[in-house]
Amino acid sequence: MARRLVVSIVAVMASGMFSPLLRAQDEKWNRIPPARATYNGKKPSGPAPRRTLAGIWDAAQALGVNGATEHPALFPGGRGAEGGREDETGIAKPLPYTPMGLEALKKNKPSGPGVRQVDSLLTNDPAGKCDPLGFPYMFLWELRTLNIVHTPKQVIMLSPFYGNYRVIWTDGRKPPADPDPRYNGYSVGRWVDDYTFVVETTGLLPKTWLDHAGRPHSDQLVVEETYHRVSGDTIELTMKITDPKMYTEPWLALNKQPLHLMPDDFDIPELLCSPSEFAEYNDLVAGPVVRDPSKK
Amino acid sequence: MVNRLGIGACLVGVVVFCVQLVAHHGAASFDTGKMVTVNGTVTEYVWSNPHVLVKVDAKDDGGNVVHWVLEVWNPVTQASRGWSKNTFKPGDNVSLDIAPAKNNAPVGEIRGRIVINGKEFKQSQ
Repeated sequence: MARRLVVSIVAVMASGMFSPLLRAQDEKWNRIPPARATYNGKKPSGPAPRRTLAGIWDAAQALGVNGATEHPALFPGGRGAEGGREDETGIAKPLPYTPMGLEALKKNKPSGPGVRQVDSLLTNDPAGKCDPLGFPYMFLWELRTLNIVHTPKQVIMLSPFYGNYRVIWTDGRKPPADPDPRYNGYSVGRWVDDYTFVVETTGLLPKTWLDHAGRPHSDQLVVEETYHRVSGDTIELTMKITDPKMYTEPWLALNKQPLHLMPDDFDIPELLCSPSEFAEYNDLVAGPVVRDPSKK
Repeated sequence: MVNRLGIGACLVGVVVFCVQLVAHHGAASFDTGKMVTVNGTVTEYVWSNPHVLVKVDAKDDGGNVVHWVLEVWNPVTQASRGWSKNTFKPGDNVSLDIAPAKNNAPVGEIRGRIVINGKEFKQSQ
């Protein structure tokens, strides 16, 4: 009895001694990036290393809930997030739609906040079915924390949000001439100087969306990304959209969007889209709250 | 109105600032101009995507139990606000400020004061 008591006391003491250690270990996992406000006024610092983007980068959840950051689907002053409109007439920074582009836009029914938002259950957003987001949707919505890895012939970008990844070839190959379309397309990258990496992506599946506001694209889409390493701890990402079928002229979806360097032991939390969890959400929330039951 | 909503709750405010929502899904279905407080007992806490859910049983003015489903953001965003899988447990007595569904279904989005077993839960962001 006494021996059992001693063993119990020792066990309790041991757990008390080791629990701070365990907590410290746990703190290495599922790291949460700093709050967005932390970056306000931040100045890029440290010398930029030559020809590398390698590292873990945080976009501060700043991207694209209302559509591409440079062209949010909102009226001046940020109004209109509640939706209810068929098109984007009157938004603060309108996009140069062609007639075909405008028709395609109207067919996409976004559930994210914006002037065309619909009830969640009524969306045809690929994300609403846990379909692959594809590129550039994966970067124009919920780009949170990005793990960039270099190999001798590739730059690999891993985004734990929805399990997205990209392979950017740097071996000098040209984009495919007549590719079978893919969700993430075909990406080639090159350094135009020691601190500027330019990626061109083509061959993207037209059924995917450009962003969370339902902006369309065609098989002619070309996405050009410029990663400018302005310092040791900051990249500025600019993304140009060119698609003559849908837009009368190229436009910038991102313009010097800062990416902030995280510590090299930063464990990015998982955030996956599970069809069964989504179905449960639709049963419990999206279905019951739809405003017109006849549309269920 | 409260009875008609079937809310075991008190209406604490009608006018709130229209905050731009940034979630996977927007707030088209919720009345973000209204704030309602749900007082009840947690029956289930679902720590999952795309949105964390808190199920609460609350009595309406007629004494009938209403089964509420209340959502917030995804687990990663909630973690950044100080939430975890252990924030709620079945049996907790809670008082939650929510934006109610526009169609009066007992569903809402938690967007205000959170009190768990008499203690206010302060979100970190």
